[in-house]
Amino acid sequence: MLTSQAEYPSGMEVEIVPVEGELNVGPQHPGSGHMRIYVKLNGDIIVDAELDPGYVHRAVEKLSEVRNYMHLIPLVERPAILDSIHMNLGYIMAVEKILGVDVPERALYLRTLAAEVNRIASHLYGTGILAIFLGHSTGFMWGFGDREVWVEVLQALTGARVTNSYIIPGGVRRDLTPAIKEMIEKAIAYQRKKVQDWYKIFVRNPNIRDRLENVGVMSRENAIKWGAVGPNLRASGVYYDVRKIEPYAAYDKVDFEIPVYKEGDAYARLLVRFEEIEQSMRILEQVIKNIPEGNILSDRFFKQIPPTRLKKWWEGQRRIVFPGYYASFRPPKGEAVSRVEAARGELLYYVVSDGSPHPYRLRMITPSYRLIQVFQELAKGSRYADLVAIYGSLDYFPPEADR
Amino acid sequence: MVDILFALRYYFFYPSFFAVIIFPGLIFTTIILLLTIWFERKVAARVQMRVGPLYVSKRTGGILQLIADAIRLVFSEIIIPVGVNPTLYVLAPVFVIAFTFIPMTLIPFSAIPKTGSLLSPYFNIFYDYEIGKGVFVGYFVPYNMVLILGLASIVPIFILLQAWATNNRFAIVGAVREALLAVSYDVLLVMSIAAVAIEYHTLDIAKVVESGIPGIVANPLAAIVFLVGMLMGTGKFPFEIVEAESELVVGPSTEYSGFLFVLAMGGGYISTFALSFVFSDVFLGGWLPFTGLPGALWNAIKAILVLWFTVFLRSVYGRYRIDQALRGSWKYMLPVAFASLVLGLVVGWLWIR
Repeated sequence: MLTSQAEYPSGMEVEIVPVEGELNVGPQHPGSGHMRIYVKLNGDIIVDAELDPGYVHRAVEKLSEVRNYMHLIPLVERPAILDSIHMNLGYIMAVEKILGVDVPERALYLRTLAAEVNRIASHLYGTGILAIFLGHSTGFMWGFGDREVWVEVLQALTGARVTNSYIIPGGVRRDLTPAIKEMIEKAIAYQRKKVQDWYKIFVRNPNIRDRLENVGVMSRENAIKWGAVGPNLRASGVYYDVRKIEPYAAYDKVDFEIPVYKEGDAYARLLVRFEEIEQSMRILEQVIKNIPEGNILSDRFFKQIPPTRLKKWWEGQRRIVFPGYYASFRPPKGEAVSRVEAARGELLYYVVSDGSPHPYRLRMITPSYRLIQVFQELAKGSRYADLVAIYGSLDYFPPEADR
Repeated sequence: MVDILFALRYYFFYPSFFAVIIFPGLIFTTIILLLTIWFERKVAARVQMRVGPLYVSKRTGGILQLIADAIRLVFSEIIIPVGVNPTLYVLAPVFVIAFTFIPMTLIPFSAIPKTGSLLSPYFNIFYDYEIGKGVFVGYFVPYNMVLILGLASIVPIFILLQAWATNNRFAIVGAVREALLAVSYDVLLVMSIAAVAIEYHTLDIAKVVESGIPGIVANPLAAIVFLVGMLMGTGKFPFEIVEAESELVVGPSTEYSGFLFVLAMGGGYISTFALSFVFSDVFLGGWLPFTGLPGALWNAIKAILVLWFTVFLRSVYGRYRIDQALRGSWKYMLPVAFASLVLGLVVGWLWIR
């Protein structure tokens, strides 16, 4: 191979002497989940990066053909335990379309609330992973430390830190109490203060900016061509968010903005995430203020709960106990597609019912699954040290891609 | 009987033994390294909303954790991979640690007055005609500036050897990074020390200290260049490029385990401590205004502060890319180094005689 010239964003031309080799990164990677990357290197430049996913494959789609609809809720959450509300929400929305259920207003607001809390937690997790990839241990600890605040909120609301199984056909499982409202207000105040510190030590740190600016640049055309979704797509200048394009839950009733950046580099992706945290907190404030009174489960199912249990759980603790209907309901024949904007991007469910207690087919297209292609393309031509910067900035989560 | 005790005391405090083995040499350095790692973890924990090591000894803030870690590492199994040359594999980290430590024997830690100090009996043996006093040092050479840097710059060669001997791809990529970095940080270190040498008209660190003007006042540019070169040379953040955990596992020491791993990883801390002593001597006024053992203690405190500053940077910075570090050193730090040379010439001509 002849000596080649590589063009760098800074305008410097570097002569590359070909020294070829392969590095086998993973599947036990110190930074993140299990995935192997075959990296073909020419000197310090990545010629080709081949992703080898599948180490955390959970066979969600196949298992769903033999499980009841209700039993599938914990299963579909597992691919992305740090983003489980969205995984849950998308699936339930598809099932509700087949069932033809009307969800009460209050439940819709609660779904938005839980989803946004989860989005903040997930973005903080992603930022933490990005930070440790760049060697910034403070960002890593802060990401996981701040995430704890939101995970605690989720625990108070749903009863579980992750894999909440909060959203059920026709509504949600638990109601919002004044104590939780107060907790969320405190969390928002804390996070707003902390985000300023984040900007000081991480986002505007000259070291971090040098590592992220002009790294893994994805143009608008490429982003569309490669099928990028979510914050990664918006960092490339595409205004696309399912919450705005096709509002679900209570997103058409709250006021929020979609941060969009034109640069398309790793730094823009980080900034989009940070601004989405602020927007999510705005949504939370509106939800807490405007949430209507009412039931949190569709009357169709609510009526089936025995009065004694209703008295104990609903009137006492504002919790839903599952009516017997849920055990093995048979939805009518039909098929449904649902789209939600998960923390990492658009999440699509396609459910086919043949009238039996379990789906005939469940198709789940997760945002990380689409990132495999993006990651592979972005890694080509970058430096070896940028591999982790690109990985972290895409917020790629291997179990979510493997399903 | 008393004669024997006096003779024992004489040989115990003989600087070639006392300064090299006990204080501030091998034993003191080892204790300081453990303390430094404890401090590094504690201060990072403080910044990162954690408590750090605690449960091993709650009353003393978990300081025994490091002893426990050291014992565990020293007694864990040493695995020698199939297909390596075992001699080179074992020797390489030993050489690394040896050559990071040897400069410590040449650094003047304190001055010895003619009378009145515990070290005064060695006044004549370690007499430095340039300052008219004895020097508390393992082995006195009037050109110690050159020798210290020369010995310190051998270390990268053994790191290359270490990676070559392990025959691991991550290790080799790390070693190539080390080689690239070594070229640039050695230039920075040598040029900043040359600036100081020109300024003080000497190659003897003791004379720089005894001149009474700290180098950071006389030539702040050289101090900055030396500090950056030191951070790069010892693999401290933001230049922890060679060991880059998320990219290269632990770089050149990827295949090592047990005590060999301690040797391979301890080198970075020891060379930081040695260079901190040089920094304290040359730029922070060393042992002044004390002499004798109190002077050495004062010098050590300054060196420890420098060392602790460098480890604190872990909680502020991530790591640069290798090309950014090289560009930074050649494009931005080299002109500063030249400026420090010019400043040294001017100040040395006008002020320091």
